[in-house]
Amino acid sequence: MAVGGTPVFVAAGGGILGAVEALRLEPALTPVATPRAAQVLLVVGEQRPSDRIALARIHAQLVEPRATVWWRTDRLSGFDLGTRAPESVSDAAAFISAQATQSDAEAILLDDAPPNPWEGIGPHGQGGKGMMGGTPYGRPMAMTSDDLRDGLSLDAYTATFGPYLTQWPPGLIMETTLQGDVIQSARIVEAPLAQDVLAATPHLELARLLRLLELPALAERLVRAALANPSRAATGLARAVRWTGVLSAIPAGLGRDERGGDVRSRMAGRLHALAAGRPAEPAAPGDVAAMLAGLEWHEAALVLASFSIDDLRRAIVSPAVRMAKDAA
Amino acid sequence: MSLAAFPFLAFFLTLGAVLAVVLDAVARSALAGAPAGRYLAGPLRQAAMRLSGQLVTTEAPDRANWRLAPGWYGALAAAGLAVVPFDEGLALVQLPTSIVLWGAVEALVVVVVFLHGWSPNAPFPLIGAYRYVATGLPVMLPSMFVLIGAALPARSLDVLAIVESQREMWNVVRQPLGLLLLLIVGLSLTLRGPMDYADSADLAGGSSAEDSGPARAMWQAARLAMLVAFSAMAATVFLGGYLGPLLPGPLWLALKTALVLVLMVAATHLLPRMPVSRMVTFLWVVLLPVSFLHLLAAGLVAL
Repeated sequence: MAVGGTPVFVAAGGGILGAVEALRLEPALTPVATPRAAQVLLVVGEQRPSDRIALARIHAQLVEPRATVWWRTDRLSGFDLGTRAPESVSDAAAFISAQATQSDAEAILLDDAPPNPWEGIGPHGQGGKGMMGGTPYGRPMAMTSDDLRDGLSLDAYTATFGPYLTQWPPGLIMETTLQGDVIQSARIVEAPLAQDVLAATPHLELARLLRLLELPALAERLVRAALANPSRAATGLARAVRWTGVLSAIPAGLGRDERGGDVRSRMAGRLHALAAGRPAEPAAPGDVAAMLAGLEWHEAALVLASFSIDDLRRAIVSPAVRMAKDAA
Repeated sequence: MSLAAFPFLAFFLTLGAVLAVVLDAVARSALAGAPAGRYLAGPLRQAAMRLSGQLVTTEAPDRANWRLAPGWYGALAAAGLAVVPFDEGLALVQLPTSIVLWGAVEALVVVVVFLHGWSPNAPFPLIGAYRYVATGLPVMLPSMFVLIGAALPARSLDVLAIVESQREMWNVVRQPLGLLLLLIVGLSLTLRGPMDYADSADLAGGSSAEDSGPARAMWQAARLAMLVAFSAMAATVFLGGYLGPLLPGPLWLALKTALVLVLMVAATHLLPRMPVSRMVTFLWVVLLPVSFLHLLAAGLVAL
């Protein structure tokens, strides 16, 4: 076996986040944050059929030779590539690593063409009137608009993020209008997917926050502690995390929930829970999309990670579910 | 004399980069409670794999700037290291104002990192680029005060003279705050840990999120080269550079550079990164006045 891990982009679905953390620690694999750096697309956990286009887009961004591996999930119909890895973590890691070197290159599933036709109305085929506006290739042209933060009128643009962003809860899809790094408005397209029990331990919830605060080594220590025994009180570990100054790094009042808590207090709650060896208290986020408006991208990611996935799921009713309810 | 320093420069950069990778791996494994060596082979294997890997492109990128950015970054690191004296009178480039050249290198890093994030024509790299400029500017201002402060006891802008002025007492003893401020600048220059605003985790790698194959390997190598160049410069300006008893000068410089590397790696893994708006406020409201007071104190002492 080659030394060092095979770079893998993990496209996580539902009921799998805790198991993924165990897989990430396997020496045969190196999880990466972007498909551009990956050799293998690893699709794990329960997948929504509607996410196959997003999956195909990620697949198209892999470096050749592309390889897809499915773990603890079946192939999605309409995405007939790749093989299923063995169930156990260590067997799966060895299997994935072998796929990276053995498999033949997979072809791209999507056409190498714009997702929408050109819809410019100008005399030279450009967007709207003059050189401005319109929706070329189905994407609205970035236009200046008022800024929420400092009054500088920058170009605002709208894009859909998710469901496979590794720094967000798996399954969450948001249509976001960004101006520079500030979220002008957000609309939730799909709610995050429910996860396994391990993902809801204070260890893993803190680990997700620590990664966003650029402390991946400490995050890994928490993951290792959770895998060893998730219910044991980890007082020393909680103290070590506190000593890095994470709580003072987070601005006060960021992401106020319905009970008056903020990111800092929710993180402190998780640290208490970690030290006491019990799960953290649930929180009530309220209107998540409204909470993110006006925040800078990093702050928004911290707000999302400061809630448990169950908290977020309770607060976000998936638009599909809402429509079904309305119809009933 | 200066030609003889050429291979030495390349050797120093390579050795320093390898040491940085090892230190990073050791710190990461130790903090994570992972088996030693878990992170040691990974970077090297991936660098080798990427150099031979495919280069994927985005839709309508600014190709020239995207390809050139890692080269500029590495070139800036080499230019900065070129004015670091390895021994008495031995620097690849000898200028009467060499500390100003280092200041220019720092300022141009902001431009290069912005180009790297802007050119792929994609949201995450662009956000990384915006953020880096927002933090880079207020970081460079304290840096200039710190460098001027360190030049005051020497009464010269020549790095050689700054080293010679530390024969009696190292600058870190005269101006301990200066080294601390310069380390913050260094973390920003090398996009590390608490100052990693360009290539951050919440942006899936930020300015390098769309980098693939050799371009990715080059950018990571350039970051390491800048880390080595910065550490050598910090060791020269604050820890007396090549000065020291018994051992030859270049060895002293290497040891002191390694010490700064250890500090940089420790800070990378132990300090959290604030959200950008909090950091920008901290830089303008706290760090800038502090650095100005530091310069004032250094000036009064030098008088």
